[in-house]
Amino acid sequence: MSDMRIFNLPSRRGWGNFLTHGALILICIFAMLPIATTVLISFKSQQDITRKPPVLFPCDTPTQSFALGACRWAVEGYQRVLAPKPAPDSLFGVSLTGNMVRTYLPNTLLYATVSSLLVVLLAGSSGYAFSRYRFRGHGALMTGILAITGVPLLTNLLALYQMGVKLRNSPFPFDDRVYIIVVYIGFFLPLSVWIAKGFFDAIPRELEEAAQIDGCSPFGGFVRIAMPLAMPGLMAVFLLTFVSVWNEFIAGYLLISKNDYKPAMFGLYDFLGQNIINLQVIAAACILIALPIIILFLFTRRTFFKAMVEGAVKG
Amino acid sequence: MHQILTRWKSSARLRNSLPFWLILPTVIILLVVQVYPALYTVWLSLQEREPSGWTFVGFKNFERLFGMGVFDESVGHTIVFLVGYVTLTLLAAFFTAFLLSRKIRFSGFYITLLFIPWVIAQIIVGLVFRLLLVPDYGLLSGVFQNPALFPPDGLSVLTAARPQPWFGDFPFPPAPAMILLILASTWRALPFTTLLLLAAIQTVPTEVVESSRVDGANGWQLIKHIMVPLIMPTLVVAIFSLTLSGVNGVGMVFSLTGGGPGTSTHVLSYLLYTIGWSQLRFGRAAALALILAAINWLLISGTMRITREKE
Repeated sequence: MSDMRIFNLPSRRGWGNFLTHGALILICIFAMLPIATTVLISFKSQQDITRKPPVLFPCDTPTQSFALGACRWAVEGYQRVLAPKPAPDSLFGVSLTGNMVRTYLPNTLLYATVSSLLVVLLAGSSGYAFSRYRFRGHGALMTGILAITGVPLLTNLLALYQMGVKLRNSPFPFDDRVYIIVVYIGFFLPLSVWIAKGFFDAIPRELEEAAQIDGCSPFGGFVRIAMPLAMPGLMAVFLLTFVSVWNEFIAGYLLISKNDYKPAMFGLYDFLGQNIINLQVIAAACILIALPIIILFLFTRRTFFKAMVEGAVKG
Repeated sequence: MHQILTRWKSSARLRNSLPFWLILPTVIILLVVQVYPALYTVWLSLQEREPSGWTFVGFKNFERLFGMGVFDESVGHTIVFLVGYVTLTLLAAFFTAFLLSRKIRFSGFYITLLFIPWVIAQIIVGLVFRLLLVPDYGLLSGVFQNPALFPPDGLSVLTAARPQPWFGDFPFPPAPAMILLILASTWRALPFTTLLLLAAIQTVPTEVVESSRVDGANGWQLIKHIMVPLIMPTLVVAIFSLTLSGVNGVGMVFSLTGGGPGTSTHVLSYLLYTIGWSQLRFGRAAALALILAAINWLLISGTMRITREKE
C-alpha cells in the first residue's frame, strides 16, 4: 500500500472491464447522492421546502411538472446561516454576523489547528525517542500508550466533565478553550505516537550518527535531520488529527460551558433544535461546515490514505 | 584533557536524558487526560451521591444498571445495530474493494469520490440523512408516506414505532429509524473499510489468482476459496474496527434520530449520555462507561494479536 500502486495501473479491455466500471460508477453515485440532495435542499426557498408532497426540484409550474426556466433557486438558507449585514467599511461591503461564522467556525478552526500542531510536536518527539533510544521502561511505556488507545473518549468523558466542573469552580484561572484543547491532544496523541514511531523507524539512523560525528548534538540530530525526513509522516498525523477534531461532537458539546467557546458541531446541533422545518438552513449549515474539510481532503488525499492504513494496522 | 572529559560526560548525560525530556510532556498529558479519568471512572462506578457526599456502595451501581429495563433494551438495539452495520459494510466494502483491485483505468478517480463520505462528520451525516426523511417535508418522505406504496397509511421512517418483536423482548425486527441509522453508518464507514480490504486484496499474489483461473475456478470460487482465506486476518481486523466504531459512535444517533422514536434507537453509547447527562446518575453512568471500555479493550487486544501474527 505504501507505494500507492492503486493509482496508476494499466487497463484491460473487455466485458468484465465494462461491468466493473458500471458497478463502480453506481457505487460512486450512491456515495455522492446524499451530498447532492443536501446541496439541492440548501438552495431551495422556504415555500418549496414546506410543500406536501415534497418535490425534488423546485422547478414546477401550474401547467408543467418540470420547466428549467421556472426554477426557484434561493440562497435564503445560506443567508440565514451567514446573516450578512451591510458594512460599508469592510472589504466586500458586508459583514457576516451569523453565530456560525462569527463564533462557532472560528472556534473549531482554533481547536483543530492548535491541537493538531501540538499533537504533531508531542507525537513527533516521543515517537522519535521511542524509535531511537532503548531505556528502562521502554516496552512498558509503549504498551501502556497502546493500552490507552483502548479507552474510548466516551468512557473518560464522565470524569473529564466532572474535572471541568471542579476546575471551573476552583480559584485557578480556567479557560474552556485550553481545557478542550488539552483533552483533544490527550485523546488523539496515543495513536499518533505509534504512527510517528513507525515513520521514524523507517528513517535510517546512520544519517543522525553521521551528523553527530560532524559535531551535531543529539537534539540537533533530531530537529535538523530526523524531523525534516519524517515530515510527510508528521503531516499525515497533522491532517488526521485536524479532521478528527474538526468533526468531533460529543466532547465539545459536553465539556465546554460558555456558548462563545462552543465549536461548529455544537452550533449545527443547536440549529437542528431551532429549525425543525427550515431544512434549507440546516442543509446550508452542513455544507458550510463540511466544505473546508472536503476541500482539504481532496488536496491531500494521498497523505490521508497513508495515515489511515498506518493507523488501522497499528490498531 | 580535563575539559574534553567533562564535555564528554555532559554530552553522555544529555544523550541519556534527551529521550526522557522528549517523552515527558506526552506522559504528563496522557496521565491527566486519560489515566486519571479512567481511574476516576472506576472509583465513580463504586460510589453513590448522597446529600452528605459520595459514599461507597460496591457493585450496586452495576446491579441497578442491569436492573433498568432500558439497559436490556439498549443491549438488544446495540446488537441489532452492530450485526446490521458490520455485515452490510463488510459486504459492500469487499465488493467495492474487489472491483477496485481489478486493473482498471480511473481507479484513482473512483477512490477519491468514494472517500468523501469518510471526512464528513457523524453529526453532519446524521443530518444529511435526516433531511431526506423528515416527516412530511423530507425529499423522500413523499415516497415512503405514500399509502399506495406502503399500505395502509404510508411509512414515516423517523417516527414509525418498532414492529412487534418476534423473539420475546429482543428488538427484532428493528424500527425503520434503526434501519436508517444502519444505512447512514454504513455509508460513512464504507470508504475506510474498502481501503483496508483493498490493501489486503492487493497483497494476494497475482500468480495464485492466475493459476487458479487456469485450473478453471470461476469468480465466486476464486473469492470463496482463494481471496477470503488469504485476507482473513484483515477481514477480522475490519470486523473489529467496525464493531469498535459502532459501539463508540454516538454523534449520528444524536443528529439522526435523537434516540427515538421512543427508545427504539437507544444504543449503549447513547444510553450512557442519557443516564449521565439527562438523568445525572453518575455512578450508574460510570458503570456503563466501564462496560463500554471493556468491550473496546477486548476488540483492540484482539486486533493487536492478529496484526502481530500477520507480521
